[in-house]
Amino acid sequence: MKISIFDKLSILSDSAKYDVSCSSSGVEEQKKYGGIGATENSGICHTFTSDGRCVSLLKVLLTNFCIYDCAYCINRASNDTKRVAFSPRELADLTINFYKRNYIEGLFLSSGIIHNEDHTMELLINTLKILRYEHGFDGYIHLKLIPGASKELIEVACALASRVSSNIELPSSKGLKLLAPQKTKNQLLEPLKQARDISLEKSAKPIPMSTQMIIGATSDSDFDILKTTSVLYNKALLKRVYYSAYVPVNEGKNLPVLKNKMPPIQREHRLYQADWLLRFYGFSYTELFTQEIQHLDTDIDPKTFWALNNLHLFPVDVNKVSKEILIRIPGIGIRGALKIIQARRFKTLSIDDLKQLKISIKRAKYFIISKGTYQKEVPMYKENIKQVLLAPKKIIQPTLFDENYSIFTGEL
Amino acid sequence: MTLLYDGSYEGFLSLVYEVYYKRLHVKKIQREKTEVVLFEEVLEIQTDEQKSQKVLSALKKKFSSKNFTTITNIFLCDSKEFEKPLLEFIILGIKDEKNLNNINYPCILYIKNLEKEIFRVAHRMYGFVRFEELEDGTLYAKIETKYNVLYFLGKHFLNRLGDNDFIIHDIQREFAFVKYKNEIEIRHVASFDEPEYSKDEEKFKNLWKTFFQSVAIEKRKNKKLQQQLVPLMYRAYMSEFENDL
Repeated sequence: MKISIFDKLSILSDSAKYDVSCSSSGVEEQKKYGGIGATENSGICHTFTSDGRCVSLLKVLLTNFCIYDCAYCINRASNDTKRVAFSPRELADLTINFYKRNYIEGLFLSSGIIHNEDHTMELLINTLKILRYEHGFDGYIHLKLIPGASKELIEVACALASRVSSNIELPSSKGLKLLAPQKTKNQLLEPLKQARDISLEKSAKPIPMSTQMIIGATSDSDFDILKTTSVLYNKALLKRVYYSAYVPVNEGKNLPVLKNKMPPIQREHRLYQADWLLRFYGFSYTELFTQEIQHLDTDIDPKTFWALNNLHLFPVDVNKVSKEILIRIPGIGIRGALKIIQARRFKTLSIDDLKQLKISIKRAKYFIISKGTYQKEVPMYKENIKQVLLAPKKIIQPTLFDENYSIFTGEL
Repeated sequence: MTLLYDGSYEGFLSLVYEVYYKRLHVKKIQREKTEVVLFEEVLEIQTDEQKSQKVLSALKKKFSSKNFTTITNIFLCDSKEFEKPLLEFIILGIKDEKNLNNINYPCILYIKNLEKEIFRVAHRMYGFVRFEELEDGTLYAKIETKYNVLYFLGKHFLNRLGDNDFIIHDIQREFAFVKYKNEIEIRHVASFDEPEYSKDEEKFKNLWKTFFQSVAIEKRKNKKLQQQLVPLMYRAYMSEFENDL
């Protein structure tokens, strides 16, 4: 029986959804193939799913046939799921028709390994060729490189795609051994290295690359994760690292059991915030942690977390310090810092001026001096500030008549 | 005093002329006559071709193109009462354009934030506009937006739809951006009949809905977040939300 395109789309997008990358940003506009389509540097979200994630790209697998058997993966060979495949032409036509209606920014194409690595890579490339050469498609295409495919094929793929990626899956080799024994870290990193080398050899503009790690499936600490991330940004020239809270889809003896059976979304969120600090705020991963503390605090954002651990650096005077210091103040972002710099040329800013500029001072006020004054409500100790930040409403000022204080101890 | 003008761009420029040359003290600016207000001095501004041209060329001469575009962009924020801050913005700028960098003036911060807001609406609509294919292959989209972003949308899609003809129809404002072969125009649309759609339209709409359903991860469900990201007012013509309303 012929499988309908509805079934294919539903099965193959369902299996691709655990890939979190969906960004279409960071590609400068250029018309190369001369037909339909364009890219937007800022990226565009076309809708948001009921879990609140942006849909920018038609994210599908070419096929969910797979010869590998990774413990965490929904498409592992030992799972008894229905296996289907798009033909390259079928998928290219679907992409164009979605694009025309402005459902999507482009295609995010990945695949299970069918027959072998090179065969799979060729099918992916064929899809891209139809889109680029026959439809003249100039929109965004994100392609998953298949670890183990030949260098020649990877080179062709890099020339056709807007961005390529390869998932390193888990933050450490140890974790891989446990959950994906057929894969090694080197093997997973190989296509990214090759893509980097191709870019370097040709001294052309490097093709933007990204990768993804699963969070919470192994015992790796946040320190380990961000260390891996930093290395990837610095050495492998990656543009983005994505974090995916582990969602259990299989059962297996090496897989973790989650608290309340919910994916660790809050942890994932904090890691993304920390990732931002690494990429845009001039932080290094070592600053965020200490010998004893190897995990971020899920209750507070990583910048506040860092500031509380380094309280000796605060408070800082918003009217004097440089942009580099301003953006290290909890609650003040790049935009806020720029607004402050622009406004303070004309006057000395007070807390009220900051409010006027629509800068959130909820957190910032404990870390700044403005117009020569520091807030007076909360003593400047780590515990006190953390307490008000976590539960601002629960703080009760002790009064002279508070019996807990005065009657029994004689102290205020 | 309260000033009254007809809501047009020329009308507003005439108003700027009157205020600037007659040094009027403005308390309020209204687009339409409301009931008679007691103890209020009301001046009705007549739209004047000559005066508005004069102001327009003065603005072009005095302002950088960036600040000039800001003024026209603010004028597209037609659901906001932007007149008084915009008037103050213009007068501050005429005195000395450097004033416009001082965001400590409330009117300047207001104008800059409002401009960001219209860019945000336009940017959201770049993603949320949905085209439907008509019988003859033309792509047709209906929109309803808080601000008048038709021009932004037209420009955006001209760049990406290649040779395809398309129409973006602003239902409330009764205007349409039309690209047909080599002709491009913004046209007034008083009334319209529901067009004939291509035979594949229903199929692709359903494929899109199928995709939209299957990429959501049930265990991470967060409807509140979704609503924050796609506010209800944007959903009217987004087929994936048809059954969700």
